[in-house]
Amino acid sequence: MARRKAELDVVGRSQPRLDGPEKLAGRSVFTDDVVLPGMLHGRIVRSPLPRARILNIDTSAALRLPGVKAVITHADAPKVYVGIEQPLFRKDIVNYVGDEVAAVAAMDEATAIEAARLIRVDYEPLPAVFTMTDAMKPDAVQIHAKAKGNIAWAQSRDHGDVDATFAASAHVRTDRYSTPASHNCYAEFHSVVADWSRPDKLSVWTPTQTALLFQKAIARALGLTDGAVRLMTLHTGGGFTGRSAARPHHFIAPLLSRKAGRPVKIRMTGDEEFIVCRAGGEVQYRFRTGISSEGLIKAFEADLTFDTGAYVESQMIVLILTAAYIHTLYKLEATRYTGKLIHTNNIPYYFHHGGGIAQMAFGLGLHMDALAREVGMDPVDFHLRNAVTKGHTNMTGTFFGSCGLKECITKVTKKAGWKRKYGKLPPLKGIGLGIGAMASGAKGVFKHDTSAAFIKVQDDGTMSLFIGLPDMGQSSHTAMAIIAAEVLGAQPTDITVIAGDTDVTPLDVGAFTQRGTFNTGNAVKAACLDARQQIAVTAAGILGVKPARLEFRGGKIYPKGEPEKSLPFRKAVYDTLHSREGRFVMGRGFYNSPKETGTMAFSFGAQVAEVTVDPVTGMVTVDRVIAAHDVGRAINPRIVEGQIDGQIFSGMSQVLYEEMLLEDGQVMNPSRLDYKLPRSHEMPAVEHIIVETIDPFGPFGAKEVGEGPIVCTLPAIANAVANALGVPINDMPITPWHILRILGRRGPAGD
Amino acid sequence: MDQHFITLTVNGDSHRVPVAVQDTLVDVLRNKLGLMGTKRGCTSGSCGVCTIQGEDSRAVLSCLALAIEWDGRSLTTIEGVATPAGLHPVQQAFLEFGAVQCGACTPGLIMTAKALLETNPSPDEAAINEALAGAICRCTGHIKVKEAVRQAIRRMAATTEDADGAPQG
Amino acid sequence: MLLPAFRYLRAADIGEAVAALAAGGDGAQVLAGGTDLLISMRQGLVAPVTLIGIRGLQELDGIDTGATGDLRVGAGVLLTDLAEHPVVLARFPSLAQAARSVGSRHVRNMATLGGNLRLPTRCWYTNQSADWRASRAPCWKTDGGLCHVIKTSETCRAINSSDTAPALLALGARLRLRSVRGEREAPLAAFYNDDGVRHTNLARDEIITAVLVPPARVRTLFVKAAARTGLDYGYGTLAAAVTGANKAIKSARLVAGSVGSWPVTLERAGQIIVERGLNPAAIEAAGEATREDLGEVANLFSPPGYKKRLVRGLVVQVLEQLRRIKPGTD
Repeated sequence: MARRKAELDVVGRSQPRLDGPEKLAGRSVFTDDVVLPGMLHGRIVRSPLPRARILNIDTSAALRLPGVKAVITHADAPKVYVGIEQPLFRKDIVNYVGDEVAAVAAMDEATAIEAARLIRVDYEPLPAVFTMTDAMKPDAVQIHAKAKGNIAWAQSRDHGDVDATFAASAHVRTDRYSTPASHNCYAEFHSVVADWSRPDKLSVWTPTQTALLFQKAIARALGLTDGAVRLMTLHTGGGFTGRSAARPHHFIAPLLSRKAGRPVKIRMTGDEEFIVCRAGGEVQYRFRTGISSEGLIKAFEADLTFDTGAYVESQMIVLILTAAYIHTLYKLEATRYTGKLIHTNNIPYYFHHGGGIAQMAFGLGLHMDALAREVGMDPVDFHLRNAVTKGHTNMTGTFFGSCGLKECITKVTKKAGWKRKYGKLPPLKGIGLGIGAMASGAKGVFKHDTSAAFIKVQDDGTMSLFIGLPDMGQSSHTAMAIIAAEVLGAQPTDITVIAGDTDVTPLDVGAFTQRGTFNTGNAVKAACLDARQQIAVTAAGILGVKPARLEFRGGKIYPKGEPEKSLPFRKAVYDTLHSREGRFVMGRGFYNSPKETGTMAFSFGAQVAEVTVDPVTGMVTVDRVIAAHDVGRAINPRIVEGQIDGQIFSGMSQVLYEEMLLEDGQVMNPSRLDYKLPRSHEMPAVEHIIVETIDPFGPFGAKEVGEGPIVCTLPAIANAVANALGVPINDMPITPWHILRILGRRGPAGD
Repeated sequence: MDQHFITLTVNGDSHRVPVAVQDTLVDVLRNKLGLMGTKRGCTSGSCGVCTIQGEDSRAVLSCLALAIEWDGRSLTTIEGVATPAGLHPVQQAFLEFGAVQCGACTPGLIMTAKALLETNPSPDEAAINEALAGAICRCTGHIKVKEAVRQAIRRMAATTEDADGAPQG
Repeated sequence: MLLPAFRYLRAADIGEAVAALAAGGDGAQVLAGGTDLLISMRQGLVAPVTLIGIRGLQELDGIDTGATGDLRVGAGVLLTDLAEHPVVLARFPSLAQAARSVGSRHVRNMATLGGNLRLPTRCWYTNQSADWRASRAPCWKTDGGLCHVIKTSETCRAINSSDTAPALLALGARLRLRSVRGEREAPLAAFYNDDGVRHTNLARDEIITAVLVPPARVRTLFVKAAARTGLDYGYGTLAAAVTGANKAIKSARLVAGSVGSWPVTLERAGQIIVERGLNPAAIEAAGEATREDLGEVANLFSPPGYKKRLVRGLVVQVLEQLRRIKPGTD
């Protein structure tokens, strides 16, 4: 149903978020605000060594400490596994600094901290490896017996005849890149409250991007049925991919609670955050591209090696995500992808904001830019020549029902004054382009990508919308209310969104892989159409027309083309209930992408960044970013802008600032002071161009915006810096010391 | 554990609170007074989610303030910002401009912005950046936050120019 | 995450404070703003038995010009107030700039000048939680016998990251100190040591009561190169103060902060400017001399090569800016 803008009353208008007032008044409850009767405080005992044999664990002193109510070790959880095969607590060998060895629960935090210190663990240090290079050497320490050569996971896939296509290419270029270990740095620290004082029901409160997957992971790990686990998401203080898989503390808190017979809260300390976050690890990339003499990409090869740290919990997903990426940008004839996860004795990694794709886009954007320049092409022309288009089916079988990639590139470069500036800026000033695409949904990552929704309509016309989708700040709940309001001719403020309680709300895979707007949106739409139909039957009876002729707009119901024959929505609802049938209006719907693999829709974008390099400090100022994004339809334009802003911040942060520095497997900068996130001063001026291609499958044509912008920001800024310096860039972050070294090599004041 | 009683005025209400000598204000506000709006963050002064206003309206970090040093003093938390009449102009601007996303930093940011405008009614861009630098916001990148602050400056200036000088919330 | 237990004493006046400090022995410390001390206490780096609260003491307050013409700044003055004080902005802008660079505005609303001058040195092997430090052998700063930063070092190489120290050193400031033995004055130049542990010469039972800045007609600048503006320690800072006209420079003091265990006075660079005046060639030469002035630079928070290039670049940039300010301009 591709309605024109004029036919939409609510969708497409900027709305304040529904939960805004409570957040602004400080009334929103986050997990750390939860206080339950009898609640204890938990603390985890972690290995201080990167690899060691556990000789002995002595918990006696901790148990004797007054106020301690539970102490647990591997003996209490022999069959509890995190991820595939990683036992919750170490029994024999610890494999990273931070590895969980024991946990305590006590009456107050101070006692819990003291008790944790009293747990005495004797270790025998063992040799460890900290770099992928070392880990892959033939004589390297084998961290896990099953992972030969410390290769935890490997995947490779060819499309087309790769070697022949490279051979037939007029020009081939190879580049190598690296991106560092990182941390998501959300404002809300990791925390969990678990209440397993009732043996038949475990309740868990925690910030999460997916109540369902956490519920299932906890149930499976603890040997419970799904229904015995109630996962409640209150507000989630930021996700950025960092809260899409359960972590050890999500299993530890329930076990402490069961042992103590009381609820237990665990909240991470400042530096502990940097151990549990499981953001990205170091990645090494090699890209090789072959093009024709007309500048058309023929063959592409990507070889990615990921530091997966001590354990693979669920990081293999990143191999799927990064393998597919090139196919979402360009029309190609042949591709080869090889990806490996390598064990080291570093922290178990996952991926940072951008899902591994943004980090890959850093190098990919630099590589394509360099390739274009090598053959004398303007990067803008290069991308336009090769970009995917609407109606194209790529080599992985993905069909692009809507595609605004070229439109974004054209609009953003025009607004930026690209032709005037590119190649013509003074020294130390640069301009760069980054393009990107992002899937709206998880099909292909998971077997089903289902979201479901219920809506109940009260007889005064107010409604409760039940969804399983958490809101971690991206305003998904408001977007769902807007969709519901549009279908039913109501206002978003008539709708209360109830979400993320697995006992109450329907199934939803969650808020990651950018599936919220598309999948849950479609589910909400289906549920509201169901409710609407029920109300329409009553209204049709009153108005004497067929239900299919009725429109629901502005709180009224009327036959199409005859607004003067209207009936108030409330009256129709009231009459439905207060009829002889006494029929209560409840709508239900679900959506699962009908495709076997891959998703139904992709967002597209292009950004241009302008930067200035300071020759004294080596620091880069991002002066301006213009962002054009095809979001299908902007359900709530101001929110779309806010998403673009936040991702530009995050992308800039990764390119220029962020790096989790490890030495001997230990994070050296585990604080928001030493781990450099930029702040207010550093933000550039941002201009938004929202492109609407009205996707045929998205709710009201909407697609995702949750990660599309960031994948454009990294290459845009990286290319701008390379442009400013006039030299290739290969490593992220682009540090001030690297820049001064480059300038020193060329400048008159060089060392 | 050394226990003391302090008198603390919070949002205009006077409280007599038992505190341990090592309690910081954020602990007392949350655990003793049940005011959960002020958040516990890094507890090392680098995130700003614990921001409150002291009696001089300045933004201070409640995680680095010993409660015992606040005996007899007054402060304002996020719970004291809105009035029965409605949201404070700063809160209203944040709402309208989409400057709230996950909300975890929001109380700290509101207190920071409010402190800025009450100590400097017409701050320039540099002063806005300076004030906000102490309060992290991972979701918005501060962009809409600054737009909201600029709007709040305009609105608060307009209301203080009202001829009748009626007090504003 | 939590503070350890301690005794708290609120001093009614400076006399009470120093008496309590003397009586308290090694376990007694003053608490001014607390913005650094409380963090160190949470990390288990220090565990004072007694904290003596001196916040707001009248004797430590105020900014005024005395009979001698010295600018007197009370050690208890909040950094926000110091940064915004009209006399400081007019006469010694580098001091205002330095005060304004410390932490965030939130921190400056609580932190004092005295506290910033005494700021303990920093290192990412020690400014960590107790649990973190359990992974490594203790070092010079944590009662051990080695340095993790420079493995062969016989002393602690943690970095002095005070912003006000370089500015005040360049201005030739003096400190007024008080203890039960009475009051004394000492030049700030003799206050710091090139040692990450014993980084100042403050007696254990002494309190800084005021900072005195001599009344010169001085052109000053302070710059801080940090990853983020607002709430960050610098990769390097530079304070500069020159007196006299460009062609006849009477004194030139350049002090680099956040690059060594003490603020490093760039002696040779300053000397070049005095000898040759403030002109492009001399400025260039001064920049080149910084390498020698800096000596060995530790690989801590940023690479040594970067720190050296940075300081050199800042010296040239700052001297160029000073050259363009008319001497005697307020």
